[in-house]
Amino acid sequence: MNYKKCTALAVSLLTAGLIMMTAGCSSSDKENGKTVVRMLQYKPEAVDAFEEMEKRFNESHNDILLKIESPNEAMTVLKTRLIKEDYPDIVGIGGDINYSNFLDAELFMDISDFEVVSEIKPAYLEIEKAREFIPQEGVYGLPYVANCAGVLYNKDMFAENGWEIPETWTEFITLCEEIKASGNLPLYFGFKDTWTCLAPWNSLAVGLAPADTCSQVNSGNTTFAAEYAETAEKNKKLLEYCEPDPFAYSYNDACTAFARGESAMYVIGSYAVPQILSVNPDMNIDSFPFPANEKEEDNVLNSGVDLLFAVMKETKNKDAVYEVLRFMYEDETIQIYLDNQNAVPCKEGDFTLPSMLDSMKPYIEAGRMADYQDHHYPSEMSVDAMIQTYLMDNSSDSTEKFLSRFDREWKRYNRDLIEKVRKYEEGQQ
Amino acid sequence: MKNNKTRTYMLMVLPALILFVAFNTIPLITGAFYSLTNYRGYGTYDFVGLRNFADLFQDSRVGKSYLFTFKYAICGTILVNVISLIIAMGLNSKIKFKSTLRGLYFLPNILGGLVVGYIFSFIFTYILPTAAKAAGIGFLSSSILASEKWAWVGVLIVGVWQTVAMNTIIYISGLQTIPGDIYEASSIDGAGRWVTFRKMTLPLLVPFISTNLILSTKNMLMVFDQIMSLTKGGPAQSTESISFLIYKNGMDGGQFGFQSANAVIFFIVIVTFSVVQLKLTNKKEEQL
Amino acid sequence: MSENKHFVPEPIPVRIKKASEIRSDADGKKNIFLTVLLILGCVTILFPLYMTIVIALKSPSEMTNDIAGALSLPKSFSLDNFREAMRVTDFWNSLFNSIVITGASIILSLVIHSMAGYAIGRSMSRHKGFKLIYFYIVSGMFVPFAILMMPLVKETAKLNIDNMFGVILLYVTFYMPMNVMLYSGYLKNVPLALEEAADMDGASTWKTYWKIIFPMMKPMHATVAVLTALGTWNDVMTPLVIMSGSEHTTLPLAQLNFQTQFGTNYNLAFASYLLALIPILIFYIICQKQIIGGIASGAVKG
Repeated sequence: MNYKKCTALAVSLLTAGLIMMTAGCSSSDKENGKTVVRMLQYKPEAVDAFEEMEKRFNESHNDILLKIESPNEAMTVLKTRLIKEDYPDIVGIGGDINYSNFLDAELFMDISDFEVVSEIKPAYLEIEKAREFIPQEGVYGLPYVANCAGVLYNKDMFAENGWEIPETWTEFITLCEEIKASGNLPLYFGFKDTWTCLAPWNSLAVGLAPADTCSQVNSGNTTFAAEYAETAEKNKKLLEYCEPDPFAYSYNDACTAFARGESAMYVIGSYAVPQILSVNPDMNIDSFPFPANEKEEDNVLNSGVDLLFAVMKETKNKDAVYEVLRFMYEDETIQIYLDNQNAVPCKEGDFTLPSMLDSMKPYIEAGRMADYQDHHYPSEMSVDAMIQTYLMDNSSDSTEKFLSRFDREWKRYNRDLIEKVRKYEEGQQ
Repeated sequence: MKNNKTRTYMLMVLPALILFVAFNTIPLITGAFYSLTNYRGYGTYDFVGLRNFADLFQDSRVGKSYLFTFKYAICGTILVNVISLIIAMGLNSKIKFKSTLRGLYFLPNILGGLVVGYIFSFIFTYILPTAAKAAGIGFLSSSILASEKWAWVGVLIVGVWQTVAMNTIIYISGLQTIPGDIYEASSIDGAGRWVTFRKMTLPLLVPFISTNLILSTKNMLMVFDQIMSLTKGGPAQSTESISFLIYKNGMDGGQFGFQSANAVIFFIVIVTFSVVQLKLTNKKEEQL
Repeated sequence: MSENKHFVPEPIPVRIKKASEIRSDADGKKNIFLTVLLILGCVTILFPLYMTIVIALKSPSEMTNDIAGALSLPKSFSLDNFREAMRVTDFWNSLFNSIVITGASIILSLVIHSMAGYAIGRSMSRHKGFKLIYFYIVSGMFVPFAILMMPLVKETAKLNIDNMFGVILLYVTFYMPMNVMLYSGYLKNVPLALEEAADMDGASTWKTYWKIIFPMMKPMHATVAVLTALGTWNDVMTPLVIMSGSEHTTLPLAQLNFQTQFGTNYNLAFASYLLALIPILIFYIICQKQIIGGIASGAVKG
């Protein structure tokens, strides 16, 4: 191609592109006389369910137009929207530290006057309240669905060998020994991806440490060294029953290994099931709560809010937003989501739970649940990496070193927050 | 006449300057301003004075990231420049399959991070240990990415593998500016290859070498992609680079103010580093 | 600094050599030894490429953790993954946007950066101001993107360019330090003689630049084009944060579809990455010809 032709082609392509760009993209709250409600939700994997909900809503409503966005990297996108002051009306996010931060930044509206609040399972509402750094009046986040973490196990392998679901820590260790003796691998970890270090940690901590450990530490009533010692030690014990050098393998490796029957159990959350099934679609998976204690009745299921809805303070269409939420919480709508995503609903009612949660059902029904402890950890503190460091440390005083580091760094990363909490508490007295 | 020329030169620089001020300097100043606050990136914030800077010098994690980054950058810069110069000279010689080979050597730089991360993790985790066991090499028999001591070498290998393409391109274009007749002259004189290279090629390449040194130093100091796709800072936080910390804690976490302070210091450090480097190569250039 | 100085051959220790040893490529023969060496080096590239292609052709249920399984050929050969990847990423649309962004960034860079590089390169040694501008711009290379990101999001939104146009302007700014450095460095090897001759003829600096210098820098244009394309084509972050409000998507943005928090479809993703690799590879091969054909044919040296 000659030089001139090249340039001409490039220039015309460019102009075409520039013209296309200037068109489009203006967001107003009215379109064809309908009130527009914009929702941004953070689970791109659930986009099919949300598209279905959006379609059903818009077909049944003449005055409101619901627009749901499910971007990739949604948290980054959401943060850039906040910077641009281009607020959606509703956000669908997880009940984690981001939610607490947004709440603390006073971005959300109090929705305690919304009637559906009373239909949410109290256990999940409490979990949501505990997200608040400083206790606040009102309800800001409405839990939608939860996920559970514990031990996934290979049902067929268990049945073949006559293994039974352990209910106490001793039973669990005995079972691991038994599996090991039979020539199988009890556990598989993907600790190369640091975040997976939190999976066994959380499952143990819910049973062994009080749910409000972090806020108690903030108030100066206890230390992590006191609350987390048992969790840390039991967590390390698990390394005796996994593949050699678990720090070499990634989350994806571990999912594949478990799917291929290389290990009998896998300490992770229900969220890993789709990835496992993609490798082995016929696998029979069930899961049980981690038996962290010596008494069965002390065990608690690790369950956290995977998706909640919060209404932005800036919204101008409160009534329309409530109408959308009312629709989202209809039993039929929730079931669309459940069928698509293997989740646990946060609303009271009669829903079909996914089969891989069978052995967790009693806990869910009784509300014997506590939130992921890491939902309280500031992400910049990188507790996952600290746990990985601890698990790799073979020295005899590793636990003390780890726990004192935990306390020290906690104070540093939460300095402003602790100050705020203390001030608030002084004000209360 | 001369003034006129200077004015034209000014006009030529102007568009670049406007863009640069608007999209580099202004946001940089804004960012530097946030380094004096406890801003999270959204919502309200308070002024904290120089607290972020004071913290920075006491933060062992930041200190460790500086050590890692500089160790990585120094080794990386040397390796990248030596390898890419060799490849560029090879690709510039009369060889068979020239275009195909040139295309192939360009590939590593355009493979996406997900691909590079997966493939090299697989090589380091499964293939290399198996090969090492078969060959009886003890220290390689477990994944180097899982070793606190050696993981940085794994990241370095992939970083060099990816960056070489870019520097090779610059060296190839540099070699083009060397006219063929000086080779003829030297071959008539009966100069050996090595002498030709040292006395002829190298001096003429100096501007390109200094450009490449700066670019590869910069790329290596700002290492981020390879860490995200291979180790995410692990194992045991041994491969956390400065850019990784700035991004992860500043953007993902709520430390935007603090990490802005880190970025400001980092910026000053690299500029100083590069000015020294530039001065050294400029001196070399003038000597020749 | 005189350019001509380089071409006075320095005294070289004379060594008697056999005629056949003297630059074997001078007589048109291909250097087989070097070819073999370079091909051996390519193994480090071909092997990962082979793995990529094999994975792109497999289905998720064929993924294993053992070496033999990972390196084996897929059970059946089908291009379904590529078809599915194209559907998921809305391939043609995303490709178009990516081409517009990369293309526009390159064209603007060639014009703006070469001008600046020329002006700076030619007057830096005489004029303190230009030297200052040079260092000012080059230092911009070292600003960590993370610190610019949030202020830029705000700024582009305020200026109403939080769209493809804004992303293009940002790229032109981001690659300015590198490109200005490359252009002004390249000019050191371009003799002043031609410009001086044009000056004598009374041509304006402006005209001399466009008529003589700009075409002469063709090899550098090709280099700059390739390097700018390298940086922009695979970039996720800038379009993600800047264009997050618009409907437009680029290929790397669309490729995020294959990764969610708790699962990655490597097979589709790899197929998609291979597809995205083709346009830029073609572009590079075209540019290579320009880099090589360059200066020898254009200018008379010395």
